[in-house]
Amino acid sequence: MRAAGRPSGAIERRAFLRMAGVGFVAALAPRPSFALSRTDAVFASGYRDRDGTFGIAVLAEDGTVIDRTPLPARSHGMAFSPLTGHLVAFARRPGTFALVIDRTGSAEPVTIAAAEDRHFFGHGCFSPDGRLLYASENDFDNRRGVIGLYDARDGYRRIGEYQTYGIGTHDLSVSDDGKLLIAANGGIETHPDFGRTKLNLDHMEPSLALIDAATGALVERHALPEKLRQLSTRHIDLDDKGRIWFACQYEGPRNDLPPLVGHFGKGEDLTFLSLPAETTIGLANYVGAIAVNRSEGLVGLTSPNGGRFVVLEAESGRIIRDDALTDAAGIAAAPHGFAVSSYDGRFAGRREPVAWDQHIAKLLANH
Amino acid sequence: MTRRLSLARLLPMLAGGLLLSATLPALAQEGTAPVPPDLTDENVVGVMTKAVDEVIRPGYRAFHASAGALAKATDAFCAAPSAETRQAVDTAFRQAVAEWGRIEIVRIGPVLDDNRFERILFYPDRKSTGLKQVQALLQKQDPADADAATMGARSVAIQGFGALEFALYGTGADALMTGPESFRCRYAAAVASHIEKTAGQLVAAWDAPDGVQQHWKHPGPQNPVFRTGREAMTALLGILVHGAEAVRDQRIETFYRHGGIARPKSALFWRSGNTWVSIGANIEGLRALFDTSGMAGLIDPSFVSIGGNIDFVLKALARVTPTIDTDIEKAVSTPEEQQKIAFLLVNSRDLIERLNGEYGTAMGLGAGFSFADGD
Repeated sequence: MRAAGRPSGAIERRAFLRMAGVGFVAALAPRPSFALSRTDAVFASGYRDRDGTFGIAVLAEDGTVIDRTPLPARSHGMAFSPLTGHLVAFARRPGTFALVIDRTGSAEPVTIAAAEDRHFFGHGCFSPDGRLLYASENDFDNRRGVIGLYDARDGYRRIGEYQTYGIGTHDLSVSDDGKLLIAANGGIETHPDFGRTKLNLDHMEPSLALIDAATGALVERHALPEKLRQLSTRHIDLDDKGRIWFACQYEGPRNDLPPLVGHFGKGEDLTFLSLPAETTIGLANYVGAIAVNRSEGLVGLTSPNGGRFVVLEAESGRIIRDDALTDAAGIAAAPHGFAVSSYDGRFAGRREPVAWDQHIAKLLANH
Repeated sequence: MTRRLSLARLLPMLAGGLLLSATLPALAQEGTAPVPPDLTDENVVGVMTKAVDEVIRPGYRAFHASAGALAKATDAFCAAPSAETRQAVDTAFRQAVAEWGRIEIVRIGPVLDDNRFERILFYPDRKSTGLKQVQALLQKQDPADADAATMGARSVAIQGFGALEFALYGTGADALMTGPESFRCRYAAAVASHIEKTAGQLVAAWDAPDGVQQHWKHPGPQNPVFRTGREAMTALLGILVHGAEAVRDQRIETFYRHGGIARPKSALFWRSGNTWVSIGANIEGLRALFDTSGMAGLIDPSFVSIGGNIDFVLKALARVTPTIDTDIEKAVSTPEEQQKIAFLLVNSRDLIERLNGEYGTAMGLGAGFSFADGD
């Protein structure tokens, strides 16, 4: 759900407007047009409308909806390339579509259908040059995660796949230099024949894997220790030092207090943060989304289950914010702090009559 | 107001609009939102206790008893094949399918441990893994394959209802009548016995006084399953939403999509003619859980129609399902039967939306229950 190609952090508003095109801006109603002219950040999020239909919305920093694109079904995570302006919404697992929206307006949306015997896991990312789209997918009959490789310059043709060296792959990211793919293998086996049922909670295999983006070879694989085998490693983001922050969802006894967040780097062991018990309880053993604000050195976590929004200092791990936020959903780095959404329609203080989905993608942020 | 809808009235409706909700009353306070209930210990414990003690535990016990009867009937049939003993097997098989159908909607808890669900029912089996394995072992006739005691260590695809149905009703099943104690019949008896054993494990797990039933009935900070009443109610609603989704997505749309290519031989229990028995039992199970638990009673009294409408749709689904032709080939190719299946598809979708959106929202479980369904 993150923008690839971070050499300058993120694109600027003028670049976004240029990318979006004169026609797009001219067609906006006064309120979103005004909001877009003033915002320092532009985000995207999936939503469910009151009538049960789904879509993806682009929002200004203050939560004003700038425009919407309908989707055939519920989406989950997103990938965005600031170089091409392509925004991809991935179907929620076990979904079989991904929709590519060209934010420059120069092309119609492209629907990517999942390959035979594969379904999307809900996340993906672009190579920094925007040429390749990587999608986390399930090779369900062989109970293994894979990374689907799609050529953005050739209509998103699927040109191959890599292993993720784990099962139940969820989030997927790429290092800033584009050389490493990072797979969060949640370790939970699912099969489309059984819907969203988790089939192996009594023998989960969570891990985090670093994969050579050029060859698909395994660089490192960090399996979780036996005592944490029910800790599903689900979401990741990178800080300015290239450290990979990961957030977890615990499938073990509800009265345990497992570690829920940690970090590692290439050649480093996993480091789990020791959060205060009340924070772990507040997060309900379930972090739904994680984001790193690089310029401010902060890590943000949300938990819809616990109705919680937590911010900690990346360097020290110190909790600097631990707020109740009912139905807390997505989170993304904002110019200051984080943009946070909720299932009940709140986004940065504004409320829309929609349910915002689990993730927010940052399309523009001036830091 | 009476909501009873006879089939005679329903069928003309099928010819017109398929969606039942057009006939349902609008929300009492349209334009306003229900006030979510305060999920206290008292009201959550009450609902969860009814769900566990009056639906789930009796459901597993009934399934266990029917599986025992099936094992016994199959043994008797193997010992002395006759029209009478065969009839007894057919009846017992149908009853076990129905009892499993009523409780299989519970797709959480002990049934997910040790792959019990798949041991009882390995379906869908898109690549015919079970069929191939069963055909191979019937060909091989190794006595070890007909040993109930060791079956648990074998592939789950040869342990449950799918394998048993093929042994009793699949190609070559006529041979069961040719003489006593045939290998095929002994294998069928071993599978039936293994289903009974697995059902017994489920009964034991749910009946253990300090086990899962206690955890389900009494959420709390030290509870390993549900820390809060809200978590428990979310799980209970989850059974209904996922159960309704399974009926539509995994039991009907696997062989029939309105306007799509029908695949009657992909239907569960098509060989024995129990497809609609199974689906009907799923719907009955959903209705029993919704009505008996009293979960509708927790929502804002001004929005009582939310619960009434859910029950109404469930009743209508339960009434139409057993009227569909048990011959699935005919059911998917006859316009009148197709309309009934389409009715199930449209209204199961409506049911999901009502549970997920209306009830979930009224309970304050997010903007729609499954929206907060993790990932």
